[in-house]
Amino acid sequence: MTTINLTVNGKQLSATAEPRTHLADYLRDCHNLTGTHIGCEHGVCGACTLLVDGVPTRSCITFAVTCEHAHVTTIEGLDNDEIATELRAAFKREHALQCGYCTPGMMVSARDVVLRMESPSEHDIRVAMSGNLCRCTGYVGIVRAVQSVIEARRKRGAGAIADGNRKVLGPAGSGHSSAVAANGAAKPRETSPTKAAASVAVAPARADANWTPQTTFVQSFTVEHPVDQVWEFFGRIGEVATCLPGASLNGEPVDGHVEGRIKVKVGPISAEFQGVADVSRDDATRTGTISGTGKDQRSNSATRGLIGYAVKQGDRPGQTRVDVTVGFTLTGMLAQFSRSGLVQDIANRLIAAFVQNLEAKLSAGEGAAPAVAAEFDAGSLFTSVIIGRIKALFASVFRRR
Amino acid sequence: MKPVNFDYARPKDVAGAIALIGDESRTVKVMAGGQSLGPMLNMRLVQPDLVVDITGIGELKAVTDQGDRIVVGACVTHADFEDLRVPDVTHGALPSVASGIAYRAVRNRGTIGGSLTHADPSADWISILSAIGASVTVAGPAGSRTMSVEDYMLGALEADLRPGEILVSVSIPKLGHGARWGYYKSCRKTGEFAHAIGAFLHDPERGASRAVIGATESKPIVVAAATAFIGDGQGDKPAKGFDANATAKLLEASGMVDQIDRQTHVVALRRAIERAYPA
Repeated sequence: MTTINLTVNGKQLSATAEPRTHLADYLRDCHNLTGTHIGCEHGVCGACTLLVDGVPTRSCITFAVTCEHAHVTTIEGLDNDEIATELRAAFKREHALQCGYCTPGMMVSARDVVLRMESPSEHDIRVAMSGNLCRCTGYVGIVRAVQSVIEARRKRGAGAIADGNRKVLGPAGSGHSSAVAANGAAKPRETSPTKAAASVAVAPARADANWTPQTTFVQSFTVEHPVDQVWEFFGRIGEVATCLPGASLNGEPVDGHVEGRIKVKVGPISAEFQGVADVSRDDATRTGTISGTGKDQRSNSATRGLIGYAVKQGDRPGQTRVDVTVGFTLTGMLAQFSRSGLVQDIANRLIAAFVQNLEAKLSAGEGAAPAVAAEFDAGSLFTSVIIGRIKALFASVFRRR
Repeated sequence: MKPVNFDYARPKDVAGAIALIGDESRTVKVMAGGQSLGPMLNMRLVQPDLVVDITGIGELKAVTDQGDRIVVGACVTHADFEDLRVPDVTHGALPSVASGIAYRAVRNRGTIGGSLTHADPSADWISILSAIGASVTVAGPAGSRTMSVEDYMLGALEADLRPGEILVSVSIPKLGHGARWGYYKSCRKTGEFAHAIGAFLHDPERGASRAVIGATESKPIVVAAATAFIGDGQGDKPAKGFDANATAKLLEASGMVDQIDRQTHVVALRRAIERAYPA
């Protein structure tokens, strides 16, 4: 717990709270200022918008501790504010609210529009207010209310102040107090892999004919080794797994069934999927499939995937082309965040690293250490492999002109 | 929707921040304005042991004029650009783009350095700063490094930061007299992350002609010699010379397989160029 001091609606307030407490919770829970509403709690709906150092701020994604000694104005503090008073009358007149849930945030954003924009069109107002969602009014009344207050004020000669009177640089609420050292109150959490592994209930990965993946993509790569050698190598599951950064197997596969895990780190997000896979391959067509399911305990996310691969003769003798089809479905927390394009980019980088390792393995022979080991850290192993190839293509497209 | 119980530190200088970030015994996350990290913490996609708040560091909120460029601290906000608290040296390019980032309440806290380091392909700064030809400086235990903005972004959500390093500043060149720029982003809803971005700069005085296709699935595609798209830029209407086929080919080569996606990006770049040369 940390003591957090703020000047709220002109009064100096103080309370102890955890650093993870966002400003809206701090005001509501510690000071009973429940005029600040919480809607989506991830910075989308705008219900929690209030003024920090005089400018609108999302209080659900601003941590109270980061605003130490800042000046906060909530809807309760706008009673005697000139613009807010005019807006309240206009909101009533224009039927700019119904249930009232979005209204505190609407008032704060509307006040900012009135304060800063000299003569906005209806479109300008809609754009400026688009960070505040209302599920009742259809916005027509809100826009009219804002417009009418602006018209009245400009007629009276009350001009706009484009910068909202902010004169200092940096995030609103920052810079009012001195350094703070970590106090160690939050204990690092246990993330023992063995513990996590024990608690994972893994469903059998056996093929389900009715399952269709959410996302599918196709990727090809070429290795500078003969087809026979590559096809034979793909049969050694343990060896193949060591080429996939971050992947490890719990043991040798039994009857095409294998258990293992893969660690993936993408920017600030890290996940460790524990799972099972069924592997099959067909010597006649030189194709194979890997069908698996996995679960990440930390983010409570699950994935299910089907990878198909075909090993073919490359363009030149001694060269092998591998076509990979990846289909997967991601559910849980990670899926909420994920956009398919991002997953694709990460998969591309994972495959680039895989190819690099595969080449190294095939060249060095059995038992050699992989070139890129440990967990998959998309940043640290963003090699020139794929990017280099793309750059070459760009160059060829544009050099001709 | 509450983050995990993390520890918090607010160092007073860059050296203090680097010392904290270098601690490998726990998961440490740097936070500036927190407008991308905040939602990820709330959704527990990110579960750090320690959050290092760098907004108390004065150096990171400063702007200095260095003759042919300005150097902007990593914690300078989008609104600081929009409101011209940061002097405009780009004929309005950066203030204009800044004013279109998310919503005003987000712009009042979200920072240029945070956006670049978060490295979302759909974010605005990475695309416009690549077009302008800006560079970044990072500092870490082994000293500091400077690189172009487009090199700083490695891919989706990955910036080129080595252990213990933080982004300290962004260096923005002053555009020449005859410089023209255009920026277009395709969004279905105001303030959302873009589906496609086009950015274009033609600065004869500095000999720069750059086109950027952003909001791809990875880092933006930067074409340093954009004369390929618009000829030599000398005709009456350079935008007329825009080569949609070459652009589409470029996108296809970069792995953009979806035709609609490609078309959206081609159009975004075309509109950016048109905006640089209004009728």
